[in-house]
Amino acid sequence: MTGQPPYDEDADRILAGEYALGLLPVDEASEFEARMAREPDLRALYAGWAEGFAGLTDGIPEVAPPAALKARIDADLFAASPSVRRPFAGWRGLGWLVGGAVAAAVAVLLVVNAGLLTGEPELPGYTASIAAEDGSLMLAASYDADGGLLYIERLAGTAPTGRALELWLIAGGNEPVSLGILPDSGTARLNVAEELRAQINGGLLAVSDEPPGGSPTGAPTGTVLASGKITPA
Amino acid sequence: MTHEDLEQLIARTAMGERAAFADLYMQTSAKLFGICLRVLDDRTEAEEVAQEVYVKIWRRADRYRVNGLSPMTWLITIARNTAIDRLRRRRDAQPGLELAETLADTAPGPEEQVMQSGERAQIAACLGELNANRAEAVRRAYLGGETYADLAAHFDVPLNTMRTWLRRSLLKLRECLTR
Repeated sequence: MTGQPPYDEDADRILAGEYALGLLPVDEASEFEARMAREPDLRALYAGWAEGFAGLTDGIPEVAPPAALKARIDADLFAASPSVRRPFAGWRGLGWLVGGAVAAAVAVLLVVNAGLLTGEPELPGYTASIAAEDGSLMLAASYDADGGLLYIERLAGTAPTGRALELWLIAGGNEPVSLGILPDSGTARLNVAEELRAQINGGLLAVSDEPPGGSPTGAPTGTVLASGKITPA
Repeated sequence: MTHEDLEQLIARTAMGERAAFADLYMQTSAKLFGICLRVLDDRTEAEEVAQEVYVKIWRRADRYRVNGLSPMTWLITIARNTAIDRLRRRRDAQPGLELAETLADTAPGPEEQVMQSGERAQIAACLGELNANRAEAVRRAYLGGETYADLAAHFDVPLNTMRTWLRRSLLKLRECLTR
């Protein structure tokens, strides 16, 4: 027989363990990382070690950090531009929320136009970021600022079986606020509560999958399938 | 905090929710600060590192799960790696340890199994099955950031012997952990 030597799982197991312990020289560590990026099995081996070794911290006493530490962290992260939220991670960031292969298969298209529905085409509109992969979920949103109505048109895609799609508005550093459940097809008309209307521009719309009837907790509980930021056109 | 609660907090942190981040901090900072203190044995440095750790957590929350770690392990790994990095720099300007919790932009594997805490709890028992010196070597690497060279010096054996020891220990450990 010719061909490659049989796959040596023990060798990879050891390598993953050495990597997790930080015992590999820099070049081998980089090589391992490059392989790990391509090989799910290797990631699983690494994850196994990381879980195991994390147990070595179980006996370490917890110590509350000084109260000032959180303020220093916040200053590091938020002080430079207090009004600017960390930009939403966007499509790439959502990948893990969506999970696996679905990540690449879902996209949302949001077009929010203040004048669209009020017959005032001269008004500047709002558009949201577009993330199109294969477009298996596409939504077009348009916002009637006068009436505080948000129209969500289903262009493509459905909720996972037995689940509902719930739309959320995330504004500034606020918690996501539910705007409602989306119907299975057609166009949804969602009434945006008065206190939320000022947050539409610059806000983020996100769609999560939830139990039928919507999130039982008032916060997203399922995976976030897609999101789009509302910005002036 | 259950596994699910923590995942929720990390998910919401990834979405830029400061309130979720604050909650995550409240729930986990004593654990992670304890790890920093243990590794560095220096309060000032531990505080600096803990600060760095939470900055990383905020910035990388959207990449949580790339490697299929459970949420607590992900947090512990960031804390441990950041602390070890600092320790190594302090020790002898060794190159840093930018380990896998930083791994970016790789699509998650199809069904990466998330190992659960059972595996974490087992480690002590499994180390107990190793010869005491060998278990000690694993601990010194993980919590002390020691390299093969450090370990060889400590146990006064040739480098290659050290490597062989440790690799064998890893196989035994793995076998025990997955039993």
